[in-house]
Amino acid sequence: MVIVDGAGIILLVNSQAERMFGYERAEIVGRPIETLVPERFRPRHESDRNGYLAAPRVRGMGEGLTLYGRRRDGTEVPVEISLSPIDIGTGRCVIASIRDVTERRRVERVLAEKNAELQAANEAKDRFFASMSHELRTPLNAILGFTGTMLMRLPGPLTTTQEDQLRIVQRSSRHLLGLINDLLDLARIGSGKLEVRAETIVCQRALAEIVEALLPAAQERGLALTSSGPEAPMEICTDARALAQILFNLTSNAIKFTERGSVHVTISAAGTAARFSVRDTGIGIAEADCARLFQPFARLESHAQEGSGLGLHVSQQLAHLLGGRISVESSPGAGSVFTLELPRPS
Amino acid sequence: MSARILLVEDNPANVELIEYLLRAFHHTVVSARDSEAALALAMASPPDLILLDIQLRGPSGFDVLRSLRAQPTLASVPVVAVTAFAMVGDRERILAAGFDGYLTKPIEPETFVADVERFLPGRHAQP
Repeated sequence: MVIVDGAGIILLVNSQAERMFGYERAEIVGRPIETLVPERFRPRHESDRNGYLAAPRVRGMGEGLTLYGRRRDGTEVPVEISLSPIDIGTGRCVIASIRDVTERRRVERVLAEKNAELQAANEAKDRFFASMSHELRTPLNAILGFTGTMLMRLPGPLTTTQEDQLRIVQRSSRHLLGLINDLLDLARIGSGKLEVRAETIVCQRALAEIVEALLPAAQERGLALTSSGPEAPMEICTDARALAQILFNLTSNAIKFTERGSVHVTISAAGTAARFSVRDTGIGIAEADCARLFQPFARLESHAQEGSGLGLHVSQQLAHLLGGRISVESSPGAGSVFTLELPRPS
Repeated sequence: MSARILLVEDNPANVELIEYLLRAFHHTVVSARDSEAALALAMASPPDLILLDIQLRGPSGFDVLRSLRAQPTLASVPVVAVTAFAMVGDRERILAAGFDGYLTKPIEPETFVADVERFLPGRHAQP
């Protein structure tokens, strides 16, 4: 603390100020306050000081700009200053409380540097994901491509065994591709990089696209794939791609794990939520298994090696990202119902 | 209806695959491994359509697209990106750059040629 008179002469300093500026009290009392101000700020300080005295008011800590004090040895110290006018018998004085903010400035600088480092690391990670996606998909192009051309019999006829084996190559490659896509999605969700772009979409239309895309797969397995919903278009505001990915995953799972019967998807309104329910007539899931179904690689023994083991986990993460959730109701032998609930504008 | 297609792709296995598929459906294919060869081939004899990989050695597919569009004889040739960049946002980024279409790798061999043919001039193409 420093007390200055109307002419800017130091009347009093406390021991804290002595330590901060490196002066003995006797050396500094009686000298102009500008002694404690770096040379480059002195002219400005004098006029500011006169302005302040003309219209004095209490000025709190941190209200001022970046301020600097000058120590006895000429070094500068970043400070925050609060001012209060005080009238004593001989005239108006000002009490200045001065706080050394060297440490805070240092912490702020370190934080800013750390932030920049983190941002750079995040950008490096994004670039890594993008290249990894590219590099992993490139060889799969040739594998899936030439498997496909052979299965199309473009180079010539195939024996039954050759065809069977090529189908296995094709299935395994698609499995690998699915795994790569899921892993990359998961990595992006984890790093907060999967942006949710909300737009108004019609639930019935979103579902119709999924049903159309998966109808061939259902027919191939001899299953009926149907959907139903309210007559009036039901609108929600959500990320269309994420919704499509979840619905695709739940519906294709149902097809994959149902031996005979049907898969039926319904849309309904449930209070302020939109509800998509995928009901199958598959083998069902034991209660104990339902709980861990959404964990990564929680593939159930009853469900062989189909799927990446990440699909439901990714879908649940996506549902959370959309402000919703996926739940499951099932019991062995009674089929399963997977329900996606998403918030709706009220 | 046979078309002349220029393929710009630097991965030999992918060149072989795409050439094979297009030729199996009676299209004529010439291939270039980089930007320079692509421009030379395209200018020597403008193709009906160009399939362009995005990540090439040297100048990228985006650069090649700009150079192609700058040539009066090539400005109207449809250019379709065939790329393994298939993450969210890539499609928008590629179409915004002025490509006429966007096909991802791995390609679907059963539908690839039909997908490409949609972009041939005179057909109704949607990206």
